[in-house]
Amino acid sequence: MDYPIWNLAFGGGVLIGIVAIAHVLVSHFAIGGGFAIAVVETLAVRRNDRAWRDLAKRSSLVLILVSTVFGAISGVGIWVTIGLVQPAATSALIHNYVWGWAAEWGFFILEVVMALLYYATWDKVRPRTHLLIIWLYVFAAFMSLVIIQGILSFMLTPGRWLVTRSFWHGIFNPTYIPGLALRTGICLFLAGAYLTLAALRERDREARARMVRLLAAFQVIGALLAYGGYRWWEAALPGSVKALFAGAQPIITALATTRHFALWALTTYLVLALFSLVAPRAQRWPVATLALLAAFAFFGGYERLREGSRKPFVIRDFMFSNGILVSEVADLNQRGVLAKAGWAALENDGTPVGKGRAVFRAQCSSCHTVDHYLSIRAIISPVDRDMLGSILGTLRDEGKEYVSGRYAHEGHIATEKLDYPYMPPLVGTDDEVAALTDYLMSLKPAKVAEVSHAR
Amino acid sequence: MPANLLPALDPAPLPGPPWLFHVLWLLTFLIHLLFMNAVLGGTLLAAFAGPRSGGRDTKLLLVEINSWAISLAVTFGIAPLLFVQVLFGRFFYTATVLVAWAWLSLVVLLTLAYYLNYIAKFRLRAGKGASVLLTIEAVLFLAIAAIQVAVNLLHLQPGHWQAVASRVWAALADPAFIPRYLHFVLGAVTMAAALLAWLAVRRAARGGDETSCRAMARYGVRTALVATIVQLADGFWLLLALPEDVLRSFMRGGALALAPLASGIAATVVLLVVLAQITDPVQQGGRVRRVAELIVAATLFMVITRHALRALYLEPARASEQAAVAPQWDVFALFLAVFLVCVGLTVYALVRAAKDRPAAGETAA
Repeated sequence: MDYPIWNLAFGGGVLIGIVAIAHVLVSHFAIGGGFAIAVVETLAVRRNDRAWRDLAKRSSLVLILVSTVFGAISGVGIWVTIGLVQPAATSALIHNYVWGWAAEWGFFILEVVMALLYYATWDKVRPRTHLLIIWLYVFAAFMSLVIIQGILSFMLTPGRWLVTRSFWHGIFNPTYIPGLALRTGICLFLAGAYLTLAALRERDREARARMVRLLAAFQVIGALLAYGGYRWWEAALPGSVKALFAGAQPIITALATTRHFALWALTTYLVLALFSLVAPRAQRWPVATLALLAAFAFFGGYERLREGSRKPFVIRDFMFSNGILVSEVADLNQRGVLAKAGWAALENDGTPVGKGRAVFRAQCSSCHTVDHYLSIRAIISPVDRDMLGSILGTLRDEGKEYVSGRYAHEGHIATEKLDYPYMPPLVGTDDEVAALTDYLMSLKPAKVAEVSHAR
Repeated sequence: MPANLLPALDPAPLPGPPWLFHVLWLLTFLIHLLFMNAVLGGTLLAAFAGPRSGGRDTKLLLVEINSWAISLAVTFGIAPLLFVQVLFGRFFYTATVLVAWAWLSLVVLLTLAYYLNYIAKFRLRAGKGASVLLTIEAVLFLAIAAIQVAVNLLHLQPGHWQAVASRVWAALADPAFIPRYLHFVLGAVTMAAALLAWLAVRRAARGGDETSCRAMARYGVRTALVATIVQLADGFWLLLALPEDVLRSFMRGGALALAPLASGIAATVVLLVVLAQITDPVQQGGRVRRVAELIVAATLFMVITRHALRALYLEPARASEQAAVAPQWDVFALFLAVFLVCVGLTVYALVRAAKDRPAAGETAA
């Protein structure tokens, strides 16, 4: 809220989602792929098997191009994107976890250099040295996941950190281990799915069947681990988070649909992986491609679910998705939101509508645009002034619930008991709320406004 | 500028004393800059290498260096990016949001440039041409450098923010933009050219084709000489283009503040003299190596100078800043241990890979 707001027609959250999903697909493949290649080359050396060696070599170029190029740059892309869309949240994370990220960076140096070295030393060094390089790569890649999982899961379930502000309590939060198990499974099944496609290029039928069966084992173990991790993750979520997408009447139906979609994708993947395990000779590229797509679908679905279920927060129970801290609600109600949101206040031309536009910019525009993504004009078009006043009044009252702690226990807020459980509360003075009402009413299409008025 | 356009300080305390972040920032930025120079300068040299400059051999060597250097430049860019956010996050985020599309485009430009480098490498290895690809790659890296320079200048000057919020191109209107941009590009070309010359000399000493190595080394030395002459002039232009109050504070800073700049200028002058003395680089390998050392020294002094200037630029805006500090020493120790172990393992693996060769009759991996 303190920062200038980047106006994106398709929504900042969508941009973060696109960059994040592209990055996590690649980065998890880089971990699982490295492990699978290490296993394949180890078998090749032990059995003196040329076909296994060729599979490892063939796959290693993709690992380089994907891991050190796209993985590394899209990782920076995440930083760039969250810094642009959620600067306050990024700053909060940096202040708490900079040493964690720095440690991950240490592993990343090892990971990148080993990936480049592994590819560059084919046909040059002895097999033992080559194996050492790829296993070092695997170690570094997995350790970077061990660290980053703590920060990712913290945002949804900060746990005891809310009370202690301890780095370790934040990292080892309630969904840390379940999420790590889930992500480890994802790494394995992504690698199994991709390397199966690479193995199908092998001309020797016997060798091909052997490879497909081994990779199917990766797929099956990965899928089962991911499923178990997912269920464990769900079980570890606070009730108010689960209420958004699970249960008899989920609060956000789109997230509930995503959950079903993701679980069906995982089931499809598991069936295809079992087929590959049982009948490796019958495996063909369309089936392997379908399995890869199912793997992407599950992972993308899970990430969408994890991001979406943070609503109305960006860091659960600490900072709302518009950058306002839970701890500053009372102060902003007294001082006014525009006293703090200097950039948004520039849009205040002194008229009530101008002031309302500035309030909208400060509090709503991190999720809503006027005419495009989550268009506020479309949302308020069927609403008249009285109803709008009632909605905004409720949203403002809910801010007091966050402050009073009526629904809070050990820092955790039971948002499902609120009327708008996925919306941040409205904060600001009475004057600002009235100005926001004027601004929103000014957005209504003239025709609809007249009809409502006539009613 | 209205006072409340400057975002409030993050309420969380700094997880370590500021001096520690400054030291780590300087160290990691220096390493990032060395790799970045190799990438930017190397791509430009590869794009312009003609038959008299070693032609295909020069291009191939430079793109092969780049396929490592781009990754390492990105990797070593992560740490300074972390530390700038810890210390100056509110300035940095605001500047990036004001030029959001350009800042986001860095990611796309970098990905394209990296993949172009790989395509160029495979084409050159296959005996095909890659001049057009390398020219596009060079343009992409030049654009990335321009965006970085613009954002850096913008985060230093909150007084410019409102103008840029109204018209994004105003970010390029800063009087220091062109000399600062040139300063980075010329520095990159000089370093990459010296690196090329040094590698050519080493290759010749190990029995490489002498004609080709000599052409490469001469191309490197000649380019480094010209770039350094222009750099000296541009350095003074940059100094004079600094805002008056910053320049005045800098000059009044005393010997301690001016020592890094003076050392950097001295290293550059010596560099110029050494470069001018090289007539046949293949025969004067020691001098070529001295050139590389002087460039690293000059870069180190300039990085320190740049950091000192940043403090002066931001002095008025940070006058009332009082950041709380709550060090996380246990986590810092973890970072340090991880960093040392990982760097140790990296060096061990690199050395082992460089020395380990299969004996006669033994199979390679």
